[in-house]
Amino acid sequence: MTHQDEKHEILELALNFVGLNHPFSRREFLLISGVTVVGISALGAKPGKKIPLIIMDKAEGIVIADPTKCVGCRRCELACTEFNDGKASPTMARIKVNRNLNFGPKGVYAGRRGQGNWGNGLITQDCCKQCPHPVPCANSCPNDAIVVQPPTNARVVDAKKCIGCKMCQKACPWEMMSFDSDMNKATKCFLCNGTPKCVEACPAEALNYVAWRDVTDKIPPRVIPTAVIPPDKVAACIQCHKK
Amino acid sequence: MAVARIIRERSETGRLAQPKEILAELIDQGLLKSEDGDERYHFETVLKEVVEKNEDIKEISGSDGIPCYYSALSLSETYARILIQKKENPLSLMAEIVRENSSIYPRPVPLDIFKESPFDFTQDELLVCLRKMAEQREYQDIAQTITSIGTTFLYSTQHLEPDYASSLAEWVDVGQVNNP
Amino acid sequence: MAKIGGWVGKVLRVDLSTGKISTENTIEKYKDYLGGTGIGYKVIWDEVPIGTKPFDPANKIIFSVGPLAGTGAPCNGRTAVTTLWPTCWPKPLVASGHMGGSFAAELKYAGYDGIVIEGKADHPVWLSIIDGQVQIKDARHLWGQGIRRTTIEIAQQLGPEASVAAIGQAGENLVPMSVVINSFSHSAGGVGAIMGSKNLKAIGVHGTGSVYITGNKEEWEKIIKLHLSLLGANNQHVVPNKPQPWAEYYHPGSRWVASSGRKWGAADPAIDTGACDPHNLHRIAYRTNSAAYFLGADAWQYTVRGNGCSSCPIRCHTMLKVPSAASKYGISEIGQNTCMGLLFGRVFFKPPPDGPRGQAAIEACMVGMSLADDLGIWCNYGQLQRDFVRLYYNGTIKSKLDEKEFKSYSWDKYEKDDPSFLFELLPRIAYKEGELGTVLGLGTGYILQGWSIPEEEWTKDYKLWYWKMGHPKHHANEDAGQCGVIINTQYNRDAQCHSHPNFTRNGLPIDVQKRLAAEIWGSPDAVDAVSAYTPMNIYKAKMAKWSLLRKELHDSLSLCNWMGPWVASPLKERGYRGDDSIESLLYSLATGDKKSRQELDQVAERIFLLHRALTIRDMGTKEMRTRHDTIPEWVFKDPSGKAPYTKGTIHMDKEDMNMAMDMYYEEMAWDKKTGTPTVTTYQKLGLGKVADELSKKGLLP
Repeated sequence: MTHQDEKHEILELALNFVGLNHPFSRREFLLISGVTVVGISALGAKPGKKIPLIIMDKAEGIVIADPTKCVGCRRCELACTEFNDGKASPTMARIKVNRNLNFGPKGVYAGRRGQGNWGNGLITQDCCKQCPHPVPCANSCPNDAIVVQPPTNARVVDAKKCIGCKMCQKACPWEMMSFDSDMNKATKCFLCNGTPKCVEACPAEALNYVAWRDVTDKIPPRVIPTAVIPPDKVAACIQCHKK
Repeated sequence: MAVARIIRERSETGRLAQPKEILAELIDQGLLKSEDGDERYHFETVLKEVVEKNEDIKEISGSDGIPCYYSALSLSETYARILIQKKENPLSLMAEIVRENSSIYPRPVPLDIFKESPFDFTQDELLVCLRKMAEQREYQDIAQTITSIGTTFLYSTQHLEPDYASSLAEWVDVGQVNNP
Repeated sequence: MAKIGGWVGKVLRVDLSTGKISTENTIEKYKDYLGGTGIGYKVIWDEVPIGTKPFDPANKIIFSVGPLAGTGAPCNGRTAVTTLWPTCWPKPLVASGHMGGSFAAELKYAGYDGIVIEGKADHPVWLSIIDGQVQIKDARHLWGQGIRRTTIEIAQQLGPEASVAAIGQAGENLVPMSVVINSFSHSAGGVGAIMGSKNLKAIGVHGTGSVYITGNKEEWEKIIKLHLSLLGANNQHVVPNKPQPWAEYYHPGSRWVASSGRKWGAADPAIDTGACDPHNLHRIAYRTNSAAYFLGADAWQYTVRGNGCSSCPIRCHTMLKVPSAASKYGISEIGQNTCMGLLFGRVFFKPPPDGPRGQAAIEACMVGMSLADDLGIWCNYGQLQRDFVRLYYNGTIKSKLDEKEFKSYSWDKYEKDDPSFLFELLPRIAYKEGELGTVLGLGTGYILQGWSIPEEEWTKDYKLWYWKMGHPKHHANEDAGQCGVIINTQYNRDAQCHSHPNFTRNGLPIDVQKRLAAEIWGSPDAVDAVSAYTPMNIYKAKMAKWSLLRKELHDSLSLCNWMGPWVASPLKERGYRGDDSIESLLYSLATGDKKSRQELDQVAERIFLLHRALTIRDMGTKEMRTRHDTIPEWVFKDPSGKAPYTKGTIHMDKEDMNMAMDMYYEEMAWDKKTGTPTVTTYQKLGLGKVADELSKKGLLP
């Protein structure tokens, strides 16, 4: 079978899954928004072929933050872990404020010209962008443990599948992945099933839960990702995207 | 009911609702067709019903007897009384505030509070009120005291003796700040 | 897997003389003392010999927090710092300071409930704590630098999340009136020189661990939300300072200053604080603006935002941006602090022509903060400034200084309230330059002694606020009549107790306060309206006992005594009632150690009693009533001669106060004649061994 045929097969499988049973071109396919192509691997892979998880669903909502209102109380971090995990663990918090609290995103070397308590006062609250495809953390996971969780369609770590390899921690350009060292599992913002606890906890109205939109090209990354994407996923990406 | 909703919406923005304002709003929204005498009489009954049926909807009357309406979900009675009086009789409002503060807390009231919301007196209005209070017999109990940093407070001698009032004014204006 | 809740299990021990670093088990050794000042007093009792002086290597300084620090319980960002107090006069005794900021939380996340610093390093060092990795590091490159540079250099090593508690030049130079500061503006007064005497420049801590909540997480969430719903503004003031749409009551003296039209003017763009209905928990942070409260309406335009301790929604520190101060005085545009920290600069001077809440005052405050919070100078609740004003204007300074030194100060600038004068004065205090600089840094007791001024001159003058032993009053009769006076007799520095003024100043009408008082202390007669005091009764004694115990409880749990207890609330539907059992609910759920309100108050009483025992032991007397629990003359004298317990005066009556102390000692089950706890009381509170030691020295009644 040619590469093109393989590609069409994948697409047909996916379209069948959602009840669309006529041939689509790749371009038409990508124009369809909100098409559920979750867990193609769950559809029953062709024997001998590993088909990667591709998340096409967009999230329903996203937490956005106003740095001019953040007062640095860190109650968002505390609510995230205390109310979800039963422990106060800002290191593990899925919204990240403390790392920018004192000096801003550029860190100590920004000194008095920077942000935060020692600079101009602005505190950037780092929130998960619930990335659209391609989802860096999900793509990097060798076990497809980062999945889409209805009804919010947040990108969520499936703890049963997570093997604690920490590859996802290296994949996120905004360093938003967390790791629960008690459970030895990765964890990330899952929008608290639609009522984010951080938003609820903020005493300054600095956080909002709004309809999802793509902010990945609007917020500069913190790091250059160094994760290695599993080769079979790379192969699948090439399948879809090769002309 | 639309009437209750209109009252609540106005209360949320910090305002009372007069019957004619509610009527106008209902007509605006196409819920009422005419404004003849029968309708208005009927409307008074409607308003009474709304108050009876909705625990949060309250009626408050000014000295002219015309009732206004508000929702206790958004406005306190204290605030509603201020709103209704400041339109009709700012002088009496000022005196009432001074007397109430002198009685229940008790303490004098800084003069400048009347220049701020919700009172919003202008400097001229304030001076006129002070002058009238000095002249008219029914306001003879309203007195002034000035703190060590020059802030004027008003109090009612019906409830506070001069020494007590001046020490309280000094405490609020100077003492509390100096004893952080 | 069950984990210990609240406490993180280890107290760090650092011996700077030997370099030995070890840990103790918090639960095994200190559980009965909770944390914070509890651990502090226990260590001092067990380990610091009588007669030790504050700067001796044998003195210890304990930085400790409680089981609630680092959790989501509102207002838990406090670290207690306990040591032998250098400004305590004539004999140093145990006392504690407190600092907010991020230190308490970060210490818990690093895995420690406290740090005991002992001995003395032979060269300047700083203590580095990164989770389990604790190192004593060379600080010679930091010695001589201010608190700000020190913090930034340590943050460069530990990372931007680290919390750094550092001393400035004042602490290095063993100036007793010095502080340790973390998180820019959060200072613990009186302890900077203790660190300096140990050659300890700073403690930098970064933690990546967790504080576990033993209880069910849904229940924990509920109790947190309950607590949040009961919060008022700073100092638990529960009414706004002018009529707001939602408010039944208001009080011009309230710290709840938010209103539509009042904006954080230096935010970019400006943010209107709005009406802040108490049911809206998303706007708690806007209720308070300490700068506007202390410095007047002009401060709104300079307000960037609120700031404060980890976990606290109140944000009682205000971040100000004042470009004119920067351009006039060469300081940073941005300054931040709360309370006395904000006022530090201004109160050195007589009120400027445009008043204590005008532009000149704001600029003086900016200069004061900029200098004092970097040099690390303590104000002793404004006593430094009050003493200075008095000593200048009564000619003492001129007479005590030699002519050359006197002329080296620009007194004309001082008399004109020119803030640039502070650039001459404050560094000299920090560097002990000259007679004036040295003497001012000693604390009031030693100023009076050194300059041969009889203490009576200070104790008879209400304007100086002096109480005893070198320290001022702190919320005494002006706030709560006899209750406030009793509280101020009990400590070895200014009382630092806010349980009582938080209640009396909460802004509710007196009838409502009396109703609440009856529920908590047994009778509406426990509280009087301010300036309308009535004679003593046992309910006021109960209120005094409750106030003191809750202060120690908060200082040991890590809850902020400037915000609690939470016995009143802004909620009309609750009758403005708060919840007097909040502390025990939080404690029980977090730690799994279920204690009722009364049971937890008993633990607090044990901690307070240990402080009492330490004071008795180190003073070497049981005559506490006459020799320690003293009341200055000015409390009994009204400047205009009004009789006590008439309206308009706050001064007390001696006989009535004697009765008040009688009732207080009875409430405490102490001996009335001496004011000394009895052996029964010690034993009842689990301090039998303490009683034994005191008995051997003849220090029981």
